[in-house]
Amino acid sequence: MAKKHNSDAKDRELQDKKSVSRRDFVRTGAAAGVGAVLSMSGTGLAQVSPAEAIQWNYEADIVIIGGGCVGLPAAIRARDLGASVIVVDQNFDPGGKMLHSGSLISLGGGDPLQLRDIKGESDKEGFVTAPPQHTAAELTEDPDFLFRDHTDWSVMDAAAQAPYRYNERDLHRGYADNCYATREFLMANYVRMGRISGTHGNGAMSRARRAVCFLMEGAKTDIKAGTVSKEDAGIEGVRSSHFAPRVMGDGSKVASKGARTNGAALARPLEFSAREKGARFLLNYHMDEIIREGQFSGRVIGIRASYSPRFDPGTGAQLESLWKNGNIDDRAETVFIRARKAIVIGAGGHTANPQFRSMFYPAFRDPAFVSSGWALLGPRGQDASGIIAGMRVGANLAGMQQNLSYGPTFHIPGTLATRDPYTDMLPGHPTFSLRGSTGIVLSPEQFQHLIVVNQVGKRFFNELLVTVKSGGAAFPAGPNKGQPRKGLDHVQLDWRNASAENIRATYSEPNAIHAALAMNEGSKAPDFFSGPIWAIFDRAAVERDKWNIDPPFTSPTNGFFFQADTIEELAAKIYAGHEFQRVPLSHLKETVAKWNSYVDKGSDPEFARGPDAPIYKIDMPPFYAATLYPVWHDSYGGLRINGQAQVIDMQGEPIPGLYSGGESSGGGNQHGLGRALVHGYIAGTNAAKEPS
Amino acid sequence: MASQSGVQPHPTSVVVWDIPSAVVAGERFRMKVGIKCSLGSDGSPGSHDSDVCRLTGGDFRIYDHQGAQVAAGKLSGDRWPGTTGLYVAEAEMEAPKAEGLYTWSVKGPQGEGSDAGVPHAESSVGFGVRVVARPDYLVAVEAVDKVSHKPIPGAHVVMHPYRAVTDERGIAEVRVAKGAYKLFVSQTRYLTFGLPVEVTVDMTARAELDLEPERERN
Repeated sequence: MAKKHNSDAKDRELQDKKSVSRRDFVRTGAAAGVGAVLSMSGTGLAQVSPAEAIQWNYEADIVIIGGGCVGLPAAIRARDLGASVIVVDQNFDPGGKMLHSGSLISLGGGDPLQLRDIKGESDKEGFVTAPPQHTAAELTEDPDFLFRDHTDWSVMDAAAQAPYRYNERDLHRGYADNCYATREFLMANYVRMGRISGTHGNGAMSRARRAVCFLMEGAKTDIKAGTVSKEDAGIEGVRSSHFAPRVMGDGSKVASKGARTNGAALARPLEFSAREKGARFLLNYHMDEIIREGQFSGRVIGIRASYSPRFDPGTGAQLESLWKNGNIDDRAETVFIRARKAIVIGAGGHTANPQFRSMFYPAFRDPAFVSSGWALLGPRGQDASGIIAGMRVGANLAGMQQNLSYGPTFHIPGTLATRDPYTDMLPGHPTFSLRGSTGIVLSPEQFQHLIVVNQVGKRFFNELLVTVKSGGAAFPAGPNKGQPRKGLDHVQLDWRNASAENIRATYSEPNAIHAALAMNEGSKAPDFFSGPIWAIFDRAAVERDKWNIDPPFTSPTNGFFFQADTIEELAAKIYAGHEFQRVPLSHLKETVAKWNSYVDKGSDPEFARGPDAPIYKIDMPPFYAATLYPVWHDSYGGLRINGQAQVIDMQGEPIPGLYSGGESSGGGNQHGLGRALVHGYIAGTNAAKEPS
Repeated sequence: MASQSGVQPHPTSVVVWDIPSAVVAGERFRMKVGIKCSLGSDGSPGSHDSDVCRLTGGDFRIYDHQGAQVAAGKLSGDRWPGTTGLYVAEAEMEAPKAEGLYTWSVKGPQGEGSDAGVPHAESSVGFGVRVVARPDYLVAVEAVDKVSHKPIPGAHVVMHPYRAVTDERGIAEVRVAKGAYKLFVSQTRYLTFGLPVEVTVDMTARAELDLEPERERN
């Protein structure tokens, strides 16, 4: 078992040691302000352009960094417009974080799905037979209305944050104007979506805009026919698959019986279409640098990428993509890829980069806490490399405060005993062995059966509130989300939405995560990490509430779940066996004894448990400890882009040939896939029109 | 203190559980006592595998809030299921005659206690005994699903300090003393039902439980 060192850092060290020779050669010329470099030839000095100075391994019209929610639509759209495309992804399989998402897509502005549901029509394949979930009034709007909703200064959420007033305006004008086309584009590329049902957090207040993607369960997986086999869809509580890292859910309420939903029903069809249309994929390569003609001037001309294969920790076998048509097979340590027209940065965000994300919250500098999708995407996923590469060639940033205006951006999910508590992957996906456990999922109600302690073994909050987070506001409006009026009664751009009176009446954020991340007596200079958090419970809790604490939900070896005969032994096992437990849980025995005395008395004087739910002793052996880790899921704040998805520099000008979107970009605050899909669509469209 | 053989006694830990949440004054009640050799439990390297020490036959004594011995017992030689080295016995004792919340303690093991012949040091643990007057009244609690109206068996009923579990009809009968209580009814996948009740006569209470909202996964 790993002890007291950051095993993720070892992986990243390998990449950082890669040497760079050609880049330095180009930079020397750029730093001199020449914009071109000199090379020696047999007959004397000759001027060559930066593009010619580099020995490129590959070239394409458009180089797309990241094969996820931005990259795949950009690739397909660029191919539709006749451009050649190479998609470069650090992972062994495309799909990015989209692959393990819930596949819920909020668009709007009168998009084709809203129009379909207003008329009560089915889809062209007849898969959607469930009735519409919303009235015509809840679905009717146009792009101007959507634009106003997404830039509404007045809306406050239940955590007193403002999700819309800081949105980049030109960006959202472009977004509103392209939602229709993007929805249509998805439907034309094998993506099937059910009835509109609600709207995503920060997807704006006034209309229903969100639909889930699905495939129909069938004898085999056939993207063209719209079917997924039972094996590929996964079995609830038993197995995931390479096709779908999370078991696909039941979409019968919004489509029809047999509809299976989640990110696999979006990412795999888009990947299928991109491959079918001739996009090439260079997988297992991590983009390290975007190359520009001058340091902060001229066009972007290509990228440097390094080999980033991943291996099964048990068998040592290299992990491979599900599909291989269109893959470029290379093993060189470093490659240079020329982009004749444009580069699109769809590399995801910063959630897995502790140094970068600590800009927004220093307590999250702790490398213990990972991003959602940590096993699926590996230590080089979501590492802010797209944002950093853009900054290095002069890009401006946007939306850097917007991580705080969507509640679940970082939170403590109610999933115990796994390092990535956001993602409930089961065995069957190639990366399961990296996490080792699915996790034990508990609702806030179920926390009545346990206590939660910090790294020194002390309680710090009412356990029923530890996983509760307010924030994020979207249709339908109402006081539970921070608005004075409900549903269609909500008024755009109204001062009453932002009044102090309304905020006082609707504020409901418990602030538990901040107590969890607070310094404690185990926090030491210079980082003052708050450390791991542990759920402590006993055999009686497991039997009382019928929890399944066996593998694969827990692992006896991954250091995230322990069992012991006594509380003292439990504390010792945690300290010895958990990689990030830097100090002993010296107070755990006293904490449990005190808790049991509160149960005898009938109330908890420290954190006011008792009036809200029954309280139970923790006294029946064996005793258990399971991690309750915070996770950083959403990434807001990144490269500034305009309504054409062009990356904007510090002078307010587009960087020629450089595009971005999704979590690599900033200035938007809508949770989920819709934002990135539209950005990818716009980026691919405009990148293809760039001159060569 | 070294034993006669010169071997340092191993440290131990005592655990108690299954103490009734409410014990009627003057009546006898039972609980479980477990003792484990805790040498090596601090995780220090090269330490002893405490599971090796089988604490068969070790004595323990129970003391009340005034330090008087109220019971004694001997470990049965059985390990508690799910544990690797916790040896267990059941203890029976009489509750005090006056209502109140008392702190009692268990000390053990005394005597040789280990079949390996290695001495073990005594340790102790405190535990609460909540003594109540004879409950006068019967509260019949019926737990049902709010939407389907079907009974909910196996639901946990708490009127501190009294507890019960609903049967297959969704009904639990709780005998309580006169007084004011917060009635809680909870079951997996349901929101906990809570209701203030004042008990002055036999009564019934109907708890309609809502299912927890479906978890939205984005």
